[in-house]
Amino acid sequence: MNKLRFYFFHLMPYPHIPPASEIQSTWVSLSNKYYDPHRGHSLYNEYLDQLTAAEQFGFDAIAVNEHHANFYGTMPSPNIIAAMLVQRTKEIPIGIIGNAIPLHGNPLRVAEEIAMLDVISGGRIISGFVRGIGCEYFNNGIAPADSLERFNEAHDLILKAWTDDGPFTWQGDHFYVPNVNPIPRPIQQPHPPIWIPGQGSLETLQFIAEHKYTYMMVFSPLWFTKMAFDGLREECNRLGYDAPKSMFNACVPTYVAETDEQAHREAKAHLSWVFNTGLKIPDQFFFPPGYMSTKSFRNFIGLLQKGKVKPQVNLTYDELIADRYIIVGSPETVKNELGYYCDEVGAGGMIGPGSPYGPMPNWMVMKHMQIVSEEVMPEFREADGLPDYQRAEPNSQRSRAELAAVKGKPEETARSRVTGGGDRLIEHRLAHVAEVIDPTMEHAQ
Amino acid sequence: MSYIDAVEKIDIPRPQKHYTEPYFEEVLGLPIAYRREGAGEATVLFHGAGFTRMWLPFYAMLAEKLDFVAPECPGFGETPLPQWMRGFDDLTILYDQLFEQLELSHIHLIGFSMGGWAAAEFASFYPRRLKSLSLITPVGLRLEDDPGVDIFQLSPPEVMDRLFKDKDVMQEWLPDGEDFDEGIHMYSEFSAAARLMWAPRYNLKLEHRLQRLTCPTQVIGAEEDRLVPNAMSDKFAAVLPNCRLIRIAGTGHEPLLERPRELAAILTAFIEEATQ
Repeated sequence: MNKLRFYFFHLMPYPHIPPASEIQSTWVSLSNKYYDPHRGHSLYNEYLDQLTAAEQFGFDAIAVNEHHANFYGTMPSPNIIAAMLVQRTKEIPIGIIGNAIPLHGNPLRVAEEIAMLDVISGGRIISGFVRGIGCEYFNNGIAPADSLERFNEAHDLILKAWTDDGPFTWQGDHFYVPNVNPIPRPIQQPHPPIWIPGQGSLETLQFIAEHKYTYMMVFSPLWFTKMAFDGLREECNRLGYDAPKSMFNACVPTYVAETDEQAHREAKAHLSWVFNTGLKIPDQFFFPPGYMSTKSFRNFIGLLQKGKVKPQVNLTYDELIADRYIIVGSPETVKNELGYYCDEVGAGGMIGPGSPYGPMPNWMVMKHMQIVSEEVMPEFREADGLPDYQRAEPNSQRSRAELAAVKGKPEETARSRVTGGGDRLIEHRLAHVAEVIDPTMEHAQ
Repeated sequence: MSYIDAVEKIDIPRPQKHYTEPYFEEVLGLPIAYRREGAGEATVLFHGAGFTRMWLPFYAMLAEKLDFVAPECPGFGETPLPQWMRGFDDLTILYDQLFEQLELSHIHLIGFSMGGWAAAEFASFYPRRLKSLSLITPVGLRLEDDPGVDIFQLSPPEVMDRLFKDKDVMQEWLPDGEDFDEGIHMYSEFSAAARLMWAPRYNLKLEHRLQRLTCPTQVIGAEEDRLVPNAMSDKFAAVLPNCRLIRIAGTGHEPLLERPRELAAILTAFIEEATQ
């Protein structure tokens, strides 16, 4: 197994908006009049090409996520993007990290779509679940105060839909489904791997430990990521098991170029945009009333007031670097930094190195992917340089021949009574063969 | 899960000015905080989404001539927010039970802002409990043309700015910005308001149900209201039977704090008239 996995993650930003100093927010209130669909057409396709290219560069997975009514990440329906990636790629796992499950009227829709993607892709889907950030609650009728309860219930419903034989009835506090019986079921058993992105709250860590899911720490300073990872390890130990390294992923925007100086020169404006423009969000959008429990809100504001955490929008580039919100440098520098995450912090995977940021031009993204795949990744890989998934058997058969050889005939196959065939059930695959319909014909000659 | 287990217990900070110790009445397992002073016609006020835990000068003015009762809505002031409170129907049933226990069988009901919506809901379910209904800058009906500003998209200073026309009065009532606990408590009260009002911001059924009212009704709007469009009080006045519409000149959404004496006089006179 490799020491560290590299996940290529795209937010699909729409960067053609006024500068941060001229707008209240990049979310909720910034009018969609700034969205030019023709530029959007070009950008979406550029971004899809970048995600597709990541397979050839040797990343461990490609990943997308869900956000609404903003210019920071323009994938209100990540499953649509994932569907395109399923078609454009061959073997690489595809992460949707994640679907904002409290926002859906019927979470079964997510269970169905993920199962469809998993089946069509041959079992390549990583399924993340999120609550959606506070801003997300302004563009639908879901009360932020219901967000956590709806998340928990939607999660339970989706998991049961994937793992129990249907049909069954779901009688929840927030969702009622008289007949749960999703078709298709996912290929990966008992269900696709589940990732939970989070900001290190105790409730999230306990939830992950309890279900043995994969954690993904979103943008945070290094000390905070370390604290959260330690906390998750403790929670797992408390439940009687040692957390494998693969449970820990850190999302750290990282940029690599030929030298430290060159890397800073190329990345500074774009990485700063992510934090200072893309995440320009006033508190009342970030924390709509009830999105956090009063207790969590108290803890969070307490940290802010003690100066332990600074609002991301106010972080300068130097602060981002100093606190390791981001990593920028030459291959040597970045290998050292990632080595620290791997060995000291306990990360099994990084979402960041090789990925695009904000308005970064396509050529720079491609250059970044190449330098990361050729000069950083091999350091953390076995001698063969492969991502782990290429050393494992694929999750499903690659051809009709393989399927036939491995699985033989289906247990049930289409059979009907056919005119001239009497009372017998005739297999459809043979229903056009005259001798099968009427066996007496064999001897008729 | 019992009602009480579901309540999130947090110490409630006390405002420096006008704080008074409330009475508590346990209703359906929930301790409801309320303040009550004066003698005369039993009159209840449902508060708006803030300025709780205080015996406001306006309340004292009403208590000069009335048996005045001001309960605190779950999630506001010192009444805890139980998990089961999800909508105005839950609140209505809770208040009905409270009135039963406090032997307030027939009352004059006043509702302000969010409390105006609560009062309209209560009136639509229990019209025969009411001797009169007064709504002050209420919300809760659908305004097709312009729903007005989304209060949940405003920062706390923006909310304060829109509440008041008179900025000297606003300064007087600004919560202490440095007070950590008060800031958290405001988020907590807004969370309770969001439980009741996040979506939709109206109850279409009110327009139909309010036709059941037989008591005198009045709507008191504010000419310079920059939080809720004046069309809202117009519409309430059109929907409510036997309704008179008054609009106070030169005041914002908060006439309780901006024009306490004038507002108290209007209400007291109306209640006296309705009682004869």
